[in-house]
Amino acid sequence: MRKYAVEFKGTKDGVIIFCLEDADFSEILSDLQERLQKRADFFGDADVKVDVGRRELSTEEKKALQDVIANNSRLHLSAILNSGKSKLLSASSAGRQRKNELQLEGFRENRSLVIRKTLRSGQYIRFPGDVVVMGDVNPGAEIVADGDIYVFGALRGIAHAGAAGDKSALVVALRLVPTQLRIADVISRSPDNSTLPDRPEYAYISDQRIMIAAIPVK
Amino acid sequence: MGEVIVITSGKGGVGKTTTTANLGVGLALAEKKVVLIDADIGLRNLDVVMGLENRIVYDLVDVVEGRCRTKQALIRDKRYHNLFLLPAAQTRDKNAVSPEQMKKLCQELKEEYDFILVDCPAGIEQGFRNAIAGADQALIVTTPEVSAVRDADRIIGLVEAGEIKMSRLIINRLRPDMVKRGDMLDIDDILEILAIELIGVVPDDEKIIISTNRGEPVAALNDGSPSGKAYRNIVRRLLGETVPFLDFYKNQSFLSRLKRIIGLS
Ligand SMILES: Nc1ncnc2c1ncn2[C@@H]1O[C@H](COP(=O)(O)OP(=O)(O)OP(=O)(O)O)[C@@H](O)[C@H]1O
Ligand SMILES: [Mg+2]
Repeated sequence: MRKYAVEFKGTKDGVIIFCLEDADFSEILSDLQERLQKRADFFGDADVKVDVGRRELSTEEKKALQDVIANNSRLHLSAILNSGKSKLLSASSAGRQRKNELQLEGFRENRSLVIRKTLRSGQYIRFPGDVVVMGDVNPGAEIVADGDIYVFGALRGIAHAGAAGDKSALVVALRLVPTQLRIADVISRSPDNSTLPDRPEYAYISDQRIMIAAIPVK
Repeated sequence: MGEVIVITSGKGGVGKTTTTANLGVGLALAEKKVVLIDADIGLRNLDVVMGLENRIVYDLVDVVEGRCRTKQALIRDKRYHNLFLLPAAQTRDKNAVSPEQMKKLCQELKEEYDFILVDCPAGIEQGFRNAIAGADQALIVTTPEVSAVRDADRIIGLVEAGEIKMSRLIINRLRPDMVKRGDMLDIDDILEILAIELIGVVPDDEKIIISTNRGEPVAALNDGSPSGKAYRNIVRRLLGETVPFLDFYKNQSFLSRLKRIIGLS
């Protein structure tokens, strides 16, 4: 598999081009040129930001970057970013990561199942990814997901996130009052006299225990 | 074309049969042609509640198995000439009827009658599946108890997954005094979970037990009893009227109202 020096990411404010940490600047320019030529039509005249990671670019290098974009696409270069914090790993340096996967802190790509109704007693969902419910999860209903569980409603039934062992999985609900909550292999139940919380909360694992925190809403 | 309405609950003994009988009488009083089908095969008792037990010759199983014509099995009510009962078989089990047979029967009755009310057996097994097979609407009966509400929720889920286009809720045996003391689930609590349209709330009323034993559904007694009034209001809502809820049941929570507006449930 061929190794790229840049990664494209579409966002609602335009395109961001990430330069991989371990690529030479010349590699970046040539890779960028080649891929822009191939995909210029796809991007159209959107705004583009280039994230060069921790690199310090000289004036000439910035100019070269600008030229490659101007000469090979109709994109407008709106900014050159230095996100020293974003952990961008190329395929070769990402020993633990899946091949070619873009790993950005706070970003995660996963399969998801969206359910646009209330899950009622006796209904059971098992899904190898994230589950999103637009509705309630009633007592007696159960969701088991390998990823996160997001409920836009009251979660009163049983939710099991990270069912395949992912301890970083979350359970999020507008009203989190589950009969029982499980994340990976940790189980907790709600107190016997729990009242309906008045704001969104999420559950996560910390120290082998399930913790619940409010999601601040202004 | 008539409307087939199944009265169902999941949990047993919450008042399906009582509801079926009273709504049947109420609809008949409103000049509608009504058939009540007792689909609780093996445990029939709609005939007893209606006071018609001694007139049974043929039953539902005889009809679907072609041993008699549908008309022959229909028992005309003693008091209301436009109200009929199709009794359940006492000696057969619930597998004696198939969903297809039930659909065909409902289709046939719809041609001639305005309302066909189906009294469903408790549970979620074959008897339940038969009873809902031909229905256009469902009335879900629950009492203000956690276990009954849980079963009602289950039933709503099963009904939603089928062909029934509308289900509405009846809360039966509410005791306002107990609700006030915090000893009973409130209407809000129930709607919060079930989140379907409420069509009526029937108070717990000893008159129901008395009239049931006499075989005279309370709706017939125009004596101002709160339960009789509650059933008559449900009938009016079934007929499309907007009837305000009696005062102890009007305060629906904002959340459940909001949910219905944005269609989350
Ligand atoms: N609102 C009420 N107030 C007082 N008693 C009631 C009320 N509704 C029903 N009952 C009583 O509760 C008992 C059970 O009612 P009913 O037979 O209608 O329930 P059901 O749901 O049909 O039961 P099953 O599941 O066995 O068919 C009866 O004795 C009836 O008289
Ligand atoms: Mg019954």
